[in-house]
Amino acid sequence: MRDNIYLRLGMPVLVICILSAAGLAITYGFTRGPIERQAREAEQESLNAVLPDAKTFERVTAAALLAKASAAAGDVTIDGVFRALDGTGATVGVGLLVGSRGYGGPIRMAVGVDRNGKVTSVTIVSMNETPGLGSKIVDDKTFLPRFGGLTSAEEARKVDTITGATKSSRGVRKGVEAALAALQAIGGVEGVSAR
Amino acid sequence: MKEFMAVLRNGLSLENPLTVLMIGLCSTLAVSAKFEGSLFMGIAVIFVLVMSNVLISAVRRFTPDEVRIPIFIVIIAAFVTIVDLVLKGYFPSVYSFLGVWIPLIVVNCIVLGRAEAFAYHNGVVLSIADGIGMGVGYTIIISGLGAFRELFGSGKLVFLQHTLVSFGSAYRGPNILLLFPGAFLLFGLIVAGSRALNKRLMARKEAV
Repeated sequence: MRDNIYLRLGMPVLVICILSAAGLAITYGFTRGPIERQAREAEQESLNAVLPDAKTFERVTAAALLAKASAAAGDVTIDGVFRALDGTGATVGVGLLVGSRGYGGPIRMAVGVDRNGKVTSVTIVSMNETPGLGSKIVDDKTFLPRFGGLTSAEEARKVDTITGATKSSRGVRKGVEAALAALQAIGGVEGVSAR
Repeated sequence: MKEFMAVLRNGLSLENPLTVLMIGLCSTLAVSAKFEGSLFMGIAVIFVLVMSNVLISAVRRFTPDEVRIPIFIVIIAAFVTIVDLVLKGYFPSVYSFLGVWIPLIVVNCIVLGRAEAFAYHNGVVLSIADGIGMGVGYTIIISGLGAFRELFGSGKLVFLQHTLVSFGSAYRGPNILLLFPGAFLLFGLIVAGSRALNKRLMARKEAV
């Protein structure tokens, strides 16, 4: 019988691929729950941090609103818009999760805006900036509070950046600008709370 | 047993993947800015290295020479993906620091290099020894580098949210340590040191 080269070489690769796929499927099944939980927890935690008055957060799912918000945000990504509700179900503000670009990669942050359209506070959800330099956007405790009380993207543009962390702090500023621009585009807190 | 230990020791000193074989440097220089991240990177590499070495060694008799590289890569990629999923689910802070470097273990020369140079030609038990030796050799260098850069660059050493050592907030370390050039300079010194040490080990080996 002639040696079938495709079978001789292909079979081992096929068997290994099938076994690997099975192994991965099993692992994925085990880790899917924890991974989703981690993502949700991180989201909740950062929203709680920027809007301490709110009890629960409700994700805005209206596609038209989100498209408008993304268009206004430019190259900053809008990862989520949340209605912040107090115990009675009244809207106390809006939380936005946005992704901007820093020096070492994406900077993800949460921006909270109260009912009067003022920024309550900004927190960094995740970043990969150079420790000791770009990481000052978190370590320098005077930086993030500079965004508190701002009401428009124009105001956010005037916030001072940090020496030695110019690109990183500019990234944060750009994220806040985009969040405020996006919120304005969808009609502010009023626009978001009207269902 | 003696052979097992000899292979294990090889990875730590005379054939240390980083300081002697000079492979896998890319991830070493990139993630060694923090102790915690580099330690977990080392653990991830140990796991992938040992598991892929075992499997590759186990299937080496059924692996045709012509397609061995695709088979190695599939096996390695499977274990790397497992590490990736587990870190994402259970150690999110570590995962966010290591980021893209975890999937990049697939193309880490150490793992593929050991599969090709060792596991493909040796039994399962010796391949475990090789995996552990090479992995631990990698981990010691990378986490040492990480600890030094973090401690003297930023003035404190943080592990799982606990500050282990701190020089106080007045400490201003040389920023270069935290940047990539610092990693290059420091790594050069480590290589020089381990060369001197290995020279002595070699001399002793020849004398025996």
